[in-house]
Amino acid sequence: MTDTPHKSDVAFIRALAELLRENDLTELRVKRDYAEADSIDVRVSRQTIVAPPPPVAPSAPAPAPSAPSAAPAPAAAENDDPARLPGAVTSPMVGTIYLSPEPGADAFVKTGDTVSEGQTLLIVEAMKTMNHIAAPRSGTVRRILVEDGSPVEFGAPLMIVE
Amino acid sequence: MLDSVDSTNAYAARIAPELDRPTWIMAHRQTAARGRRGRTWASPDGNFSATLVMRPGGVPGWAALRSFLAANALFETLALEVDRTRLATKWPNDVLLDGGKIAGILLESAGSGGQVDWLAIGIGVNLAQAPVAEPDAAFPPVSLTGQGGSNIAPEAFLARLADHYATEEAILERLGFEPIREKWLRAAARLGETISARTGDGVIEGIFRTIDPAGQLILDCADGPRSIAAADVFF
Repeated sequence: MTDTPHKSDVAFIRALAELLRENDLTELRVKRDYAEADSIDVRVSRQTIVAPPPPVAPSAPAPAPSAPSAAPAPAAAENDDPARLPGAVTSPMVGTIYLSPEPGADAFVKTGDTVSEGQTLLIVEAMKTMNHIAAPRSGTVRRILVEDGSPVEFGAPLMIVE
Repeated sequence: MLDSVDSTNAYAARIAPELDRPTWIMAHRQTAARGRRGRTWASPDGNFSATLVMRPGGVPGWAALRSFLAANALFETLALEVDRTRLATKWPNDVLLDGGKIAGILLESAGSGGQVDWLAIGIGVNLAQAPVAEPDAAFPPVSLTGQGGSNIAPEAFLARLADHYATEEAILERLGFEPIREKWLRAAARLGETISARTGDGVIEGIFRTIDPAGQLILDCADGPRSIAAADVFF
């Protein structure tokens, strides 16, 4: 391996750390398999300030990227991040969202629809690959969190199906 | 080998669940051929229409790199028919002949839980006839014979393309994406020049710097480098 993958790994971990801080998360784990002998498994975590802060707690701990980290950080207080909801379907890749099979066609699903496991919910496009995201379980589409044609980041919540 | 089918990619999606090894599907005629985002794709007799369907496993970002494998394989196959200096790649998987659109590649995949269940690589090549250009076509359609290339039968073209693709797949498995990326870049049109990328958000203009290890297009824009995962490129 050259140092290029290493550099990109560092950049990737740094991006995760930023994501963690921006979204006020306590922990984030990403596993990517690039090839049989080329994969990355990163867990970044940080401590969040819980109210009331314990007397000896550090005032504002910096995000600490580590791969893998020690024990998970203490659970956050109330967290409204949809990505953490149990029924969240998240994006497996960076790309563009399409809610319908083609422009002008009906959307794959709409809020309130009953879906069965394996049914296409939407498409994420990257590198001209139309990746159909299937419902991981049967249930009801509670929320659609993305807009047609909008860009999406890795791990971003797309829909809530429960 | 099919005489007629709605679309080789649609057929691929139907047989994918039963698949035990990568399989090429070729059709003489497609009655509902399609391009990206519902664009029509004309596939008259004598032209090439085929789909490679496989179950590669892994994450979608890795599966999507096949766009570049397919473009490289198609480039090499066409380079047996015309001088390779007349061919160029355009991000991510277009191959241009004399600056015109000779082929189209559309990948479709499906999966859940962050894993790819199946992947279909649909490839159409204007061997014999170029469809009539749409007035706003950025890259006018051309055909192999129309540009003075030999008159090759779709079956013979498939045999060569399948071989070239298999080599690309072996490179990916044994050496990773880097050599595929380098090969693609060597053939890339307008590298180092200003190009435009039309995304869902608008048009991004910048100097075409490179593609990154995930296959994303890197443009040097006025406000710094931008990496782009999905767009239509034109120049």
